[in-house]
Amino acid sequence: MKKVLIGFHLIIFFILPLSLYAGVPQNTVEGHVNNVLSVLRDPAMKGDKAKKAKKEKVRAISEKMFDFNELSRRTLAMNWKNLNPDQQKEFIDLYKDILEDAYMDRIMSYSDEKVVFSKEIMLSDDTAEVQSNIITKKAEIPIYYRVILKDGNWRVYDVIIEGVSLIKNYRTQFRDILANKSPEELLKVLRKKVGKA
Amino acid sequence: MKLIVLTIGVVGLFAVSLFSFSYYSLASTVIASDHDQEGKSSQVDQTLQDQKQSTQEPDELIEEPDQEQEPSDQEEEIIEEEEEETVQIADPLYIWNKGMYYFNDKFYFWLLKPVTQGYSAVFPEGVRLSISNFYQNITTPIRFVNNLLQLKMKSAGNELLRLVLNTTFGVAGLGDFAKDKMDIKRHDEDLGQTFGHYGIGHGFYIVWPILGPSSLRDTVGYVGDLFLHPVSYITPIETAVGIDAHDKVNETSFHIGDYEDIIKAAVDPYISIRDAYVQHRKKKVEE
Repeated sequence: MKKVLIGFHLIIFFILPLSLYAGVPQNTVEGHVNNVLSVLRDPAMKGDKAKKAKKEKVRAISEKMFDFNELSRRTLAMNWKNLNPDQQKEFIDLYKDILEDAYMDRIMSYSDEKVVFSKEIMLSDDTAEVQSNIITKKAEIPIYYRVILKDGNWRVYDVIIEGVSLIKNYRTQFRDILANKSPEELLKVLRKKVGKA
Repeated sequence: MKLIVLTIGVVGLFAVSLFSFSYYSLASTVIASDHDQEGKSSQVDQTLQDQKQSTQEPDELIEEPDQEQEPSDQEEEIIEEEEEETVQIADPLYIWNKGMYYFNDKFYFWLLKPVTQGYSAVFPEGVRLSISNFYQNITTPIRFVNNLLQLKMKSAGNELLRLVLNTTFGVAGLGDFAKDKMDIKRHDEDLGQTFGHYGIGHGFYIVWPILGPSSLRDTVGYVGDLFLHPVSYITPIETAVGIDAHDKVNETSFHIGDYEDIIKAAVDPYISIRDAYVQHRKKKVEE
């Protein structure tokens, strides 16, 4: 009797982690998003003065949530190797700044739309797609996060909003620029945009 | 008389699109926006496709002997995978399109946005939502027919059901009773998507003034859908245009800020919009 009980408990002990493992990508992304939402919804941080503090917190979460290295490499794809290591490093930083300038205001203007995570799909052994929806009064906006497993952590390398992939969209833009200009000139364009913005 | 001209126009456009399908579906994997250099990128694309078809062994490995074997292999795979996924559109009308892009940009900031903001100040969100529902309701024929054409019977049935439910319980379509109370969602289909469903490619990119980005295929689709659009049959034509304009302003009232975000985020807004259009339409065709 005792043996059966022990055996039973051992089986449960081993099965449980497996079922949790299947949800790790989704849980990871959902966790980060929920952290951002709680910062945005924080009643203690209302008004313009708190805005700076809010942005800092959101920035900190995005550092953990995104793999900007992977994002950058996949965006430039074939053109990545045309940049030397210094240029690559600068590109990652500028790209990150552009994305932050572009999306931070949008994120800050969030009021209280509902965010619902529906499912995750494994794309390969170490990549997955986590699907979510933002439900506004007008419509449901599907937002999919593509994550990659590195050093035990699932981090985002692409965001697909209503079918439009972020890295694909930037890839087309950068490719068009690099078709006629050198990598150094591309960096010049990016520096100007960040400086201006 | 007008109908005959319109029909000839549609048939003509359709014939051109079928012709361009065969020609451009080959060319559409090539970036045609090269207004200066021809094909440096397109050559690279071709090389990539050849590589993918022949072996996994990348030629570039030979050029970089100081790198480890494994990461390069992996990198090549990822890069090939990413490049494969990229969908492009031919853009031979680049000059016209860029001009229209500038026109639409000014049109939005100088006319559409101020008018919409004034409109939103007068009509609260709830009213505008009802108006949106109303217009969505009367454009049911377009969705119904195109769902049928794509043999999506359940969706077509749902559209019919939505029309009945929303016109009665939703009160003349002002409320979306079907979605709110019965979770029957809209199945957005148009003729452009129907063409895409049956494998017809975009042909090439066209930007229309006011109407915005489109493609040869989607423009033919738009004209075709006009026959199914109840408002088209309202006379005189000024009233019909006025109603469609009201619809556009009302819809825009929910999207103020979207266009500004796009230009803020983009390094090259024209390309960004074009690419987003292609990706978005691809998704709509696939779903």
